[in-house]
Amino acid sequence: MAATVARGGPPRTRAERWGILGLLSGPLLWLTLFFLVPVGFVAAYSFGLVRIFPTDGGPSLGDWERFLLGRSIYTGLFWKSVAMSLTVSIAVVLLAYPVGYYLALCVRKRKYVLLLLIIAPFLTSFLLRVLAWKVILGDRGVVNSLLYWLHVRAPEDPVPWLLYSRFTVMLVLAYVWVPFVALPIFASLDNLDRSLLEAAGDLGAGRWRTFLRVTLPLSFPGVTAAFVFVFVPTIGEFVTPQLVGGTAGYMYGNAINDLFTKGLDWQSGSVLAMFLLLVVAALMMLFGRWVQVRSVAA
Amino acid sequence: MSRAQLAGDPAASEGARRLLALFFLGLVLFLYAPIAVLAVFSFNDGDVVFPLQGFTLHWYRDALTNPVLLGALRRSVIVAAVSSVIAVGLGVLAATALVRRRFAGKAAFSALVFSPLVVPYLVFGVSLLVLFTALDKVLTATMGVYIGLGLHAIVIGHVVVSLPYTVLTIMPLLERLSRSLDEAARDLGAGAWQTFRRVTVPLLMPAIVSSFLIAFTLSFDEYAIASFLAGTEPTWPVYLFAQLRVPSLLPQLVAVSSIVLVASVLLVVSAEVGRRLAERRYGAPAPVA
Repeated sequence: MAATVARGGPPRTRAERWGILGLLSGPLLWLTLFFLVPVGFVAAYSFGLVRIFPTDGGPSLGDWERFLLGRSIYTGLFWKSVAMSLTVSIAVVLLAYPVGYYLALCVRKRKYVLLLLIIAPFLTSFLLRVLAWKVILGDRGVVNSLLYWLHVRAPEDPVPWLLYSRFTVMLVLAYVWVPFVALPIFASLDNLDRSLLEAAGDLGAGRWRTFLRVTLPLSFPGVTAAFVFVFVPTIGEFVTPQLVGGTAGYMYGNAINDLFTKGLDWQSGSVLAMFLLLVVAALMMLFGRWVQVRSVAA
Repeated sequence: MSRAQLAGDPAASEGARRLLALFFLGLVLFLYAPIAVLAVFSFNDGDVVFPLQGFTLHWYRDALTNPVLLGALRRSVIVAAVSSVIAVGLGVLAATALVRRRFAGKAAFSALVFSPLVVPYLVFGVSLLVLFTALDKVLTATMGVYIGLGLHAIVIGHVVVSLPYTVLTIMPLLERLSRSLDEAARDLGAGAWQTFRRVTVPLLMPAIVSSFLIAFTLSFDEYAIASFLAGTEPTWPVYLFAQLRVPSLLPQLVAVSSIVLVASVLLVVSAEVGRRLAERRYGAPAPVA
């Protein structure tokens, strides 16, 4: 978070102290009661420190131990999801970078309008955009119909991996998140001092060398922010796999969702959810200093 | 290195620029084609499969007379309106504290306000579900009452996830507004609260409106958290998800989604335009995000 330096001194009078309390108490109270307390409660629940259902076990490290030592079926599922999310995050950054570069450094007029054109789909319904792919990739969808029409495939023999596969989940996730990451990448390139590029050219560097040695390193914060802001939601994703993933595209998030809604094993679900939170927290500690939260506000 | 290469734009050669423009166009096509396909089907006189049958508006008529569907839409409007009003109110307070005040623990406060951005909605959703369930167990055992899940639970969750966005939208304008306006009001005898209400808030209005619209859009479309907390009161996304498996309803859902899509794009674009106009009025160049 870019620290904002307040120009005023520390609170001097009693009135000023009360004023700060008045500003802070509302947000603090809401976030404590409805954010910190629930997450803390689930953490306690995952260790059996609280009981909700008669079937819940007492205090124990058993669930955590099983999970962390790889003796649970969910450990493998977690790594499969990590691999999928990593692929998606990298693909999304590779797709968004050229666009950010083009808009920030090559376009002079109306670049904000063009940027808005890329971002706008993110503001439309998430479910709708996933649903669109189901229509496109289905057995009688756009792609298969085209193949039938071209006599590449017979109507009784649609391409099997188009829908309900790991590939589909990754394709749709990339589609959903590209608009979101275009912004931080664009912002980091747009803030770049153009005279640095000219200086590199004057000193004899070609365009490729200027890109690799000047532009790319300077846009690193934007790229990192983009990467983290795709990885975090996709690793916890369960809606897209449910709609287009089938059993092959089942992800870690689906396991958590199923434990809470179908299996009703809330304690195991809590362990899985808290582990996911720990992974995200570790990521933020590693990359946090490059992630400017400001870059996500349109 | 030829002189021709050194001359001109250091960012991209003419050829590279054309290639990038082509890539940009390709991505725009990739982003909009699926949405367009869906919109086309909302006018198709048949199932949501190829080939297309013929033009019709009856899916729109069916959708707008389907009481269950309209009920879900109405719930989403209520949840989005209430949660964004609260999120904007808390956002103004938090942004003012972060921009205008110095206090101990500011870094921690800022981390707390922005942390919902990086907590997966799935984890947050189940956390509220577990808390509400546990609370109800205690309440029924001790007092024989319970709160239950429903719209109030969704509102509570949506305020938490909208808050970072409202704070981020309000902070830049607050940073640019001159503090001397506040100081002038204080010198003229206004109290802290009066200054805040009569000077700061009116000047912040453009940012308040656009943060409201952002929070509204976020809440209206939010599925993951709502799916755990809706109970027997499904909001529009929760209803939509549940009905996706009913093929006969699909064209209606697509029709309503198309209306919602057009409305939300108009809403957000007008918010953005309004914000930029307002920023121009304050005489500062529009900053990048």
